[in-house]
Amino acid sequence: MTDLISLAPKLDTSSQAFFRFRNIPNTTKTLITNYEGFYALLSKEEFERFATGTIEPNTPLHQRLSENNFLRATYDSKRAADRLWSRRQMLAQGPNLHMLVVTLRCNESCVYCHASRATMDRVDTDMSKETAEKAIDLILQSPNPNLTIEFQGGEPLVAFDVVKHAIQYANEKNKKAGKQLEFTMVTNMSLMDEEKLKFLLENRVQLCTSIDGPEHLHDLQRKLPRAPGGDGVGRKDGAHATAVKWIKRINEEWQKMGLDPTLYRVEALLTTTRDALPLWKEIVDTYVDLGCRALFLRPVDPFGWAEKTERKVEYPREEYLQFYKNVVDYMIELNAKGVQVLERYAAIFLSKFFGRDPNFLDLRSPAGAGIGALAYNYDGRVFSSDEGRMLHEMGDSSFEIGHVATSTYKELVGHPTVRSEVLASNLDGQPDCVNCTYNPYCGTQTAHNHKKFGTVFGRTRESTLCSVHKGIQDYLFERLAAEDPKVLDIFQKWTTNRPRTHFLQPTTPA
Amino acid sequence: MSTRLSFDKSLYAGKSVDEAVKVFAAHATFALEETPEAWVVNVTANVESKELRLTRELSNYALGLTVQSRGTSK
Amino acid sequence: MHHSVTTNLSNGSAAFTVDPSLYPLDALYGAAYVFIDRCFVFLEKNAQGHVVVSLAPKKGPADQPTLEKWAGEFSNELLSCAWRHQIAANNKQALEQVTSLALAGAMGPPSLDDLSNFDFSSQPLEDPLGIAMSWEEKYKKKPKP
Repeated sequence: MTDLISLAPKLDTSSQAFFRFRNIPNTTKTLITNYEGFYALLSKEEFERFATGTIEPNTPLHQRLSENNFLRATYDSKRAADRLWSRRQMLAQGPNLHMLVVTLRCNESCVYCHASRATMDRVDTDMSKETAEKAIDLILQSPNPNLTIEFQGGEPLVAFDVVKHAIQYANEKNKKAGKQLEFTMVTNMSLMDEEKLKFLLENRVQLCTSIDGPEHLHDLQRKLPRAPGGDGVGRKDGAHATAVKWIKRINEEWQKMGLDPTLYRVEALLTTTRDALPLWKEIVDTYVDLGCRALFLRPVDPFGWAEKTERKVEYPREEYLQFYKNVVDYMIELNAKGVQVLERYAAIFLSKFFGRDPNFLDLRSPAGAGIGALAYNYDGRVFSSDEGRMLHEMGDSSFEIGHVATSTYKELVGHPTVRSEVLASNLDGQPDCVNCTYNPYCGTQTAHNHKKFGTVFGRTRESTLCSVHKGIQDYLFERLAAEDPKVLDIFQKWTTNRPRTHFLQPTTPA
Repeated sequence: MSTRLSFDKSLYAGKSVDEAVKVFAAHATFALEETPEAWVVNVTANVESKELRLTRELSNYALGLTVQSRGTSK
Repeated sequence: MHHSVTTNLSNGSAAFTVDPSLYPLDALYGAAYVFIDRCFVFLEKNAQGHVVVSLAPKKGPADQPTLEKWAGEFSNELLSCAWRHQIAANNKQALEQVTSLALAGAMGPPSLDDLSNFDFSSQPLEDPLGIAMSWEEKYKKKPKP
């Protein structure tokens, strides 16, 4: 395998521009990346010639390295600046994502619940309409022209009156603010009914749910009492059947509205537990059968109940990475047969490799806590991230940055905690990350670091986030290194972003 | 019974030690002295069985204030 | 880092030495600060000028493996802080620029209310070039002596 030590006697450092390098596991290729985020995969011989400054001009290798700004003689500063700006410009725009926890109450009981949900009798954990209004007043002060308000909980359908009020109030206030406004709701669907659905469809609310995989796994992990539900009707279906029924129904409704069925689908999220790992094929098949086009293989986080049930739900990250590879290999097979399904982590990382940053808040440097997103709890407390809010429910309020009743918008985003998080999540200041080949594509999470290490900086080498991010990128570059045209074509398709403009709220000037 | 705590001047800020002593004043009697190398605090806890805990809390507090007083950028 | 970890199970503490010529004091403080919510941390110097770090549990007695684990974790944190200290110095300009961009971006431009509420009185306004003076004031004829 290539390393610089064996090349040391012949090294010539005058011809290369700044680069980091990494040998990609299971291949003979070495990956090089530069500060602005261009990459090249080199064979052992090519890397030796690069490192020793012996590349002949007017060769394909010279041209490839030159085009990607790896050679000092042809370094294009403008190109570097443009590429860097495409990654950093979202930093200058302010928080786009605003999470409203309209209640902590939830009628499902999930083995890994990150949100520390409350039981259905805890009406004291519902957000008041006044609190929702104050939160929206703050949200509309974000300088970002594109705002997404995400309703979550608990189960937001439990406090649907608050959701309705918040949507109506936000739209009314937005007549003056003039933002490109979107609403999203993260729901288990079990309390959906015709009236609520009608309102959500009419108000162009994106819907997102959780599917833990095949029915037996989903119902094992997400307990839905089969007693009378919120609709007052005796419930005979479990959590999975209920969610599936409404996913299909909503997809049909969107199609009836004339929306492109390949674009407008209910999004579903997976929380990967230990029991999910052997079921990789069944999980993909479940999503494909549901008509879902995307699967997000999120590992379980150390928040909420997942900390208490760690022994049951957690797993070594090498096992997760094997699961990840199994899933994506299988997805590639399916795609080659014409089935369109993608994995979100892969789509995010590949987009970054190819120079189209999708601004995913947990995979950027600095991370989005406070400057890309804010979380508003049911009681009006404001947090720099949803994970910070989850920690508050576990008794640690380190990430509380204010209250909707007393804080100004600028006090929230300029809070010392936010400043610390911005500094701490900048990978150019992090040990290990600063030298990592994946630096231009990666990110860290301050709340996760705080929970695991007692410091917002964390310790990268010991972090499960790092092992997951590195492992996924290693795998993706392994697939890119193989240069299989079919796979490259599929990866390109996964990075094609088609905006879903139907979900933009119509704007009527005041 | 009393415990002698010696805070090395190159490691602890004198003001931080003073401040920590003030915070715990209700729980113990403190006698302060200074040597060329250290701020010395003799602690006699109001409740003898709590003296070890008290001295440790005091030390932690003084260390925390010392770190905070240096700021994060130095 | 530490030559050896000495554990004292009777008072439930672990102690080890740190050579200050290898680790800057700020790194030692950084690591100590990370531990003060779970341990009692005490620093002192020995005859060789090395810093002796003592860690004692906050809750209940700690067994030997726990004490040794803390000492190990402290060592990792110390190394991480020392390296971060170095990186922060090396990359200071880039880190400051990106942080300013992000925070200024999130705040947005100052509003008229922000400007009218700004307290100029606490900062003496130096104006050596006379930019804040009116043209008439700046160039008015000086009274004849």
